[in-house]
This record gives sequence, C-alpha cells and structure tokens, in this order.
Amino acid sequence: MAGWGLLARLGARLRAAAVAPGRPLRAVTAASGHSWQLGFAARPVHDATWWHEHLSEENEQFLRKAAAEEYRAQTASKLCPLKDEPWPLNEWKPDSVRVGVVAVKLGMMPIWTKSGKKHAVTLLKVQDCHVLKYISKEDSDGKTAKLLVGGKNVSPFSKSEAEMEIFREAGVPRKQKVTSFNVTDDAIIKPGTPLYAAHFRPGQIVDVTAKTIGKGFQGVMKRWGFKGQPASHGQTKTHRRPGAISTNKVARVFPGKKMPGKMGNIYRTSFALKVWRINTKHDIIYVHGSVPGHTNCLVKVRDTKLSIYKDCNKNPPFPTFFADGDEKLPEDLYDPDMFQFTDPSVTYA
Amino acid sequence: MAAACGRAVLRGARSGRWFSSSACRMSSDGEPTKFQPPPKPVIIDKQRQREERRFLSPEFIPPRGRTDPLKFYMERKDMIQRRKVFNIPEFYVGSILAVTTADPYADGKTNRFVGICIQRGGRGLGATFVLRNVIEDQGVEICYELYSPRIQEITVLKLEKRLDDNLMYLRDALPEYSTFDMNMKPVSHLDHEEIPVNKLQVRMKPKPWSKRWERPKYNIKGIKFELPEEKMKEAQKWQKPWLEFDMLREYDTSKIEEKIWREVSEELKK
Repeated sequence: MAGWGLLARLGARLRAAAVAPGRPLRAVTAASGHSWQLGFAARPVHDATWWHEHLSEENEQFLRKAAAEEYRAQTASKLCPLKDEPWPLNEWKPDSVRVGVVAVKLGMMPIWTKSGKKHAVTLLKVQDCHVLKYISKEDSDGKTAKLLVGGKNVSPFSKSEAEMEIFREAGVPRKQKVTSFNVTDDAIIKPGTPLYAAHFRPGQIVDVTAKTIGKGFQGVMKRWGFKGQPASHGQTKTHRRPGAISTNKVARVFPGKKMPGKMGNIYRTSFALKVWRINTKHDIIYVHGSVPGHTNCLVKVRDTKLSIYKDCNKNPPFPTFFADGDEKLPEDLYDPDMFQFTDPSVTYA
Repeated sequence: MAAACGRAVLRGARSGRWFSSSACRMSSDGEPTKFQPPPKPVIIDKQRQREERRFLSPEFIPPRGRTDPLKFYMERKDMIQRRKVFNIPEFYVGSILAVTTADPYADGKTNRFVGICIQRGGRGLGATFVLRNVIEDQGVEICYELYSPRIQEITVLKLEKRLDDNLMYLRDALPEYSTFDMNMKPVSHLDHEEIPVNKLQVRMKPKPWSKRWERPKYNIKGIKFELPEEKMKEAQKWQKPWLEFDMLREYDTSKIEEKIWREVSEELKK
C-alpha cells in the first residue's frame, strides 16, 4: 500500500516537471536488487546554462549596458505618476485597507525618547518599490482586490520571458521580491506607480513580514526548545535527544509531533511595530523593535491588521504618497515622543 | 677683523654654537670664506600640529560585515548632530573622566561620577564606556552610553593612555589603583603635545582572579605578575602564535578611518 502511494507521488512529480519548462527530468531505471525500491529514480538534467555562456564578449557587454539604460529610462518615465493619468484618487475611510511596501532590512540602531528611555529600532529602506499589477476582486478570490508590489531591482537575464511579462507590462525593471497585498477597491493604484517611505508616517503601527534566518537541519533542543537530558550521572549517549515521542496506549505518533528538521527560512510576521522616524531623502523607515530576516533581506511592510491600533493609523496618505504631488515633506519626519539630536540634553526639572 | 669677530659672535649666540671656527678659517687661510647663512629657526606651529594629530573616536569605525554602508552613514549623521550640540571630548582607556547625568531620583536631578575609563565598547550610536572608581571601599563601575541624551557633561580630568586597551584587570588589582578623588582637579593638557602613556605596572590581589590575566589571549602588559615562573610558563601553553598570521582576521581600517575622519571633521566645522 505504501508503495502505491510513492509511485503516485513520483508520477505526479514527473508530470509537473514535464509541464514546467526549463528542467526536464529523465527517469533512470535503478538496477538494484531490492524489492521494496521502485523502478526509477529521477535525476535532473544539467543542461541549463547561464545567460551569457553562448554570447560573445561584445554582445554580453552591450546587453548589460542596454539593460542598464532601459532601467534608467523606465525609472525616469515612472517618476511622475500623478501626471500619468492615475486611477481615481479616493478619500480614506476607516474601513479602507491600503497597499503596503517592500523594503530592505538595513540593520538596527538605538533611539531615545524625550524622557530618556532607550529603544531599539530597525532601519528599513524602501528601494525601487513599484506597483506591478492589479488583480480585481473577481479574478483573485472574490473577497478583496489584490495589488502585486515588487521591490529592489535585479538583473533581468536569469528569468524566462513568461515570468518577465508582469514587469514588461508595468514598465518597470525586474524586481527581486514580488508580494501581493489585499486591498479595498477604493485604494487601488495604477501599475507602475512608485511607492516611497513617506507612504508611512511616524506614529503609525505596521506589521512586517519576512523570511526568518535559515538555520538548516536542527535538533529538537534548538528547534523546539526541549530540555534534553543531563550531561552526566550515567547518561549513555543521550544528551540532546527528544526522549519519548508518544505513549503506549495511543500506539502511534501524532501528526505534527515536534521532531528535528529544517528550521528557519519561513515567513513570519512581527505585529504592531511603531514607526518612529521616516527619512524621505533616502526612503528609510525606522520601525520599533526587531524584524524577522537577516541584514539586507527583503521584507513586506503593511498597516496593522490588529484592531486595537485603528486609532494610530487614521488619515494616512491615501492611496499612497505621490512624490510629484503638492506636499513637500522635510527630509526627516520624527515621532513627537522621539528625542531628536538637534535638541539639548534631557533634564528632569 | 674685530667687526667680523663681533658678527660671528652674534651669529653664534643665536644658534647656540660658536662660529669662531669661521673667524679662525678667515684668519688662517687668508682667503675670504663663503658666507654661511645661519640655520633656519624651527618654529613649532601649534595649529598645524593639532591638525596633524588626528583623532577619530573608535565608535565611528564600522565593524567588518555585509551591512550596507548607508546604515553607517545614517548613524554617523546622527552622531555628528549630537556632537554639534553636546561636546564629547577625546579620551582613551586609562583617562580619568567626570560624567554628569540627569537622574530623576537624585537631589538636584543630576548625578556626577568620576572614574577611570576601563573599556570603550560598541560601535555607532550605541557606543559605551565603563568608568571605575572605589567609593568607601566599594568598587563601583558604571557603563555610560556616549550618545545618550541623559548625559549632561563629560569632562576629561586627566587625559592619558595606558599600556592596554582594556583595563578590566583593575577589578583584581589592589584597590589603590582604582581609587580616584571625586573632587579631583582637572590636569591641564596642551593641545599639541602627544598623549602621555602611563607605563604603570599594577600589583594584583592574590589569586583567584575573575579571569586568568596571565594567559596570552588577554595580552596584558600593565600587570606586574608576581607569580612563580612555572605558573607563567604554564600560561604560555595557551598561546596561539598562528593568530597573528591569520589573514582572514586582518581588518585594515586605515583608509576607512581617513575617509571618515575627513567627513566628520568637515561636518563638525560647519
């Protein structure tokens, strides 16, 4: 019975591989004598190559320069979204959910409040963030409209033409991370609009989602926090093992039992982080506390889902902040509680 | 002849050497010797010497890593901004400082502490320094953040360096080496002079110590070890002589320091 399940799964994998282009799997019959092993073992064929292996040096240099120029032209053409027939701008209502932003985690820094208390903040840089696509309510899954947003330009050469379609239609360079935001109908934005750090304001509360740092295959003590066994007093070869995995009567192991396995490299969200400061010149958001992910990883920032903080997120720039609009913001926006270094030292009078 | 001698005497008095030799030469040779110009006077230009001695506070130097330099730039901007409003003087590990902080629970809302700086840690805005003093036979160490807004004044009472970068061994040294008068008067230090290095060798309390300071990994030069020879030899067992040739550990900060020093000094002048 188990053998049938394995066969079915392998068959499904082969079929899926045949559909997905670029990496055909060749089934090689394993000539082994074990009766329990199945007929074939699939091995990927290494005929994929890097994009300029079959190009001459001149062509490669030309393509690189052409791509860079195209990027510059595309970025320049999208700098004035308000003059480019934007979709109708609506007023913010307490029920509206607006887009978020894709940012790069730069690192962490201490800040002080006006009362002298110290907090740690994470710097998130909004680098080349553009809206890529609008998926209407009916097309997505009937409940909310979706907006695909991409951040941080990367090289266009290692992606297939089909995958580059979204970027070509939006008229933006290829992005490293593409995420979707569920958005109400009054907050939809035209694809190609750039998003900036000023989309958020100091005092707002945000959620940040990112892939946690991958730790690889880890044992049960690090992964689940088990206590292990004592280091001495007669323990034979058992110091970091899980111990018992089930009881006698149950006669099986429950699905989802905590066991060793791959740890990290999964999406996790930090909820309700306060925005302390926005730098409009370099597009940096200073967000309270820590954020999942390693330095220079791409994170998804959006307004909090938690209803307790509804008051803090009132009247945000809606649907987003347009740099070519009427508002001219100063270079740094601070939360009123935050100690700015232009002020003299704190005194308790 | 007398006039020539007189001129020679004058020249000699200025430079501190008698130029009677030239006068003698004139008389013995009988030919007029060439005019020897006096040696150029050495002028100590204090302004230029002050500029030549560049000091960059260690917390400006970014640590080695894959962080974006933009993050360090943003931090440096904040640090320079704080330094424009509040003066953070130049000091080293081993200098004696007096720090006044704002304290909501103290009389007069300020708190003054005098101590020797035993450690400077951290980079960027979170840079710290630890001051140590012995007050009424109790050793007290306070770790201050350089850029905390609660600090109201930092005065350097005595600017000097010691033989080590880290004076944590003062915890195991005799208390007299960590005692400093709370009302100590500042010792003047001229701008253009080199920072004096105090080559004091400290005497320790009997073992056990908090750390085995005789081991080569701490590389301490400021302790007068009165341990027997076998103990010192045994400590050398933990030596790692290959560490100094490890190329992966090299971190040459000279160019980075130059660039940052120029940037910081230009900003501070504005």
